[in-house]
Amino acid sequence: MARALIATASPEKLNSDRARSRRLLDKFMTGVLWAAASSIIVLLLLFIAYEFVQGWGALSWHFLTGYPSASDAGGGVGPEIFNSFYILILTLIFTLPIAVGAGVYLQEYAGSGRFRDLVQFSAESLATVPSIVMGLFGLLIFVQTFHWHFTAVGGALTLTLLNLPALMRVTQEALGSVADTYREASMGLGATKWQTVLKVILPSAIGPLTTGVVLVAGRIFGETAALVFTAGASVSYGASAYDFNPFHTAETLAVHLWSTHREALVPDADQIANGSALVLLIMVLVFNVVARVVGRQLTVRLTGKA
Amino acid sequence: MVGVRANKAHRDERIALVFLILCSVIFVVGIGLVLGYLAWNGTKLFFQDHYSLLTFLFSPDWDSLNNKFGALPFIAGSLLATGFAIVVGGPLGVAVGVFFSELAPKRVADVMKPAIEVLVGIPSVVYGWLGLTLLVPLIAKVFKVEGDGLLAGGIVLSIMILPTVISLSEDALKVVPNSLREGSAALGATRWETISRVLVPAASSGLAVGIILGIARAIGETLAVQLVLGNASVVPSSFLKPAAALTSEIILDMGDAPDGSPLQHALFSMALLLLLISMVLIVLIHYALRKRA
Repeated sequence: MARALIATASPEKLNSDRARSRRLLDKFMTGVLWAAASSIIVLLLLFIAYEFVQGWGALSWHFLTGYPSASDAGGGVGPEIFNSFYILILTLIFTLPIAVGAGVYLQEYAGSGRFRDLVQFSAESLATVPSIVMGLFGLLIFVQTFHWHFTAVGGALTLTLLNLPALMRVTQEALGSVADTYREASMGLGATKWQTVLKVILPSAIGPLTTGVVLVAGRIFGETAALVFTAGASVSYGASAYDFNPFHTAETLAVHLWSTHREALVPDADQIANGSALVLLIMVLVFNVVARVVGRQLTVRLTGKA
Repeated sequence: MVGVRANKAHRDERIALVFLILCSVIFVVGIGLVLGYLAWNGTKLFFQDHYSLLTFLFSPDWDSLNNKFGALPFIAGSLLATGFAIVVGGPLGVAVGVFFSELAPKRVADVMKPAIEVLVGIPSVVYGWLGLTLLVPLIAKVFKVEGDGLLAGGIVLSIMILPTVISLSEDALKVVPNSLREGSAALGATRWETISRVLVPAASSGLAVGIILGIARAIGETLAVQLVLGNASVVPSSFLKPAAALTSEIILDMGDAPDGSPLQHALFSMALLLLLISMVLIVLIHYALRKRA
């Protein structure tokens, strides 16, 4: 700063040259920042366009609902798509009550004590555990200790540990967006804290809460590394492609994309991988749109705020 | 009547509190179990199989058939790919964070923010597949090599850490008080001078947190790198030659490792190493945040 002040005090000619080059640099860097931001959008559009071109031909009703094939071309991903949703739903059933409960506790009850710090630190630590490391933990617990073998429920419980922190944070942020006047008004009317949480705070926070949950759900849907050694990389061939037994092996679509390419047993492995990648990408887009639309609708309906 | 209802409310309140505390305790127990189980199984290689820790860490010889578990190739691969990602993706991410915080008109931000959210949502395995089918052939053509290797892995990781670095950089800059912007402008500084000499230094610890979380994301990334690294168990001599990372080797070898074998123990040791690196990064973040406070 001091240098800038001295510069203004120097002779006029020098000063105007200096000012021009400073303005030029400013314009140039503004351009650089715009370019950096645009490059990311270009990249994303490129990815989406590329996957559509590569994978569109693979999509068919048979591909989306049929069984995978062991060695011949023409296998489908029906059970895998089902398993992805099934494990996602199991994971949400396990994760949501715990994550929302902990989020409510930290945001509404715990002042600023040691316990709060401990929970917060544990959550941050859990959040940085790499997916594959969590997968090995799931392998140790559910496969090697409980002897469940590869199961949908083992995969879902592993994903639960992995996603608890994200959903707790979503809850905390959603609750934080509720104005304190709501709390004061409710308590002022004689409601207990729990009544206030249940009947005032959670309903007012439902919009951002839903948006956050659906976005995290999108990430759970595409999770791979944590599932290879917990839910397994094969599907069970039962009476139907849709196997609701949580103790059966349950390869998801994302795992299938990887294992098909890795094993390369079927002649159309690349085609199946392209189709799977496209379905996964479309699902990401769907989750993102749903998150926004539903979140906004709920906010309007339950709070009257636009 | 009123008394009964008040009693019920009080009882509900107590039950609710116990439930909420239990939910919170699960986080502490969860990370405790993960750390405990991996510490136990990740040290069996040294205590049960009496393999030397130093050989594990510093030997470049990995030959699981002959019980040689030098993890240096994978440690080097992980560190180099992550380093590349930070060098490329770090500045780019910070730049876009600056853009969102200081430049972006609201309408532009409204379009771009959801786009970045989509980037976060794309599964790791899809990034890997894109890298394998789009990037690797490109590298092969440009450099006249096979294509898979640290360069491909580093580029894929650079893209994958972007959303993390962008959103944390933006947050870090947004909390810088406006008085600093106004003061700088009043002294005649251009916007770039304000950004580079006032805002970025003021937000440095927050920016550091973004970069550290980017490192954490990159070093733990598995499928995206496994698909493009080329999976060669040698210390990489060039960014254009096939390599392997801790994560990619674990996912490739674990399926074939018999329960209780030294190979499985070695893979758990590698997972433990990854876990320890993540924990160190978390502590670093706390240090950076405390410095700010």
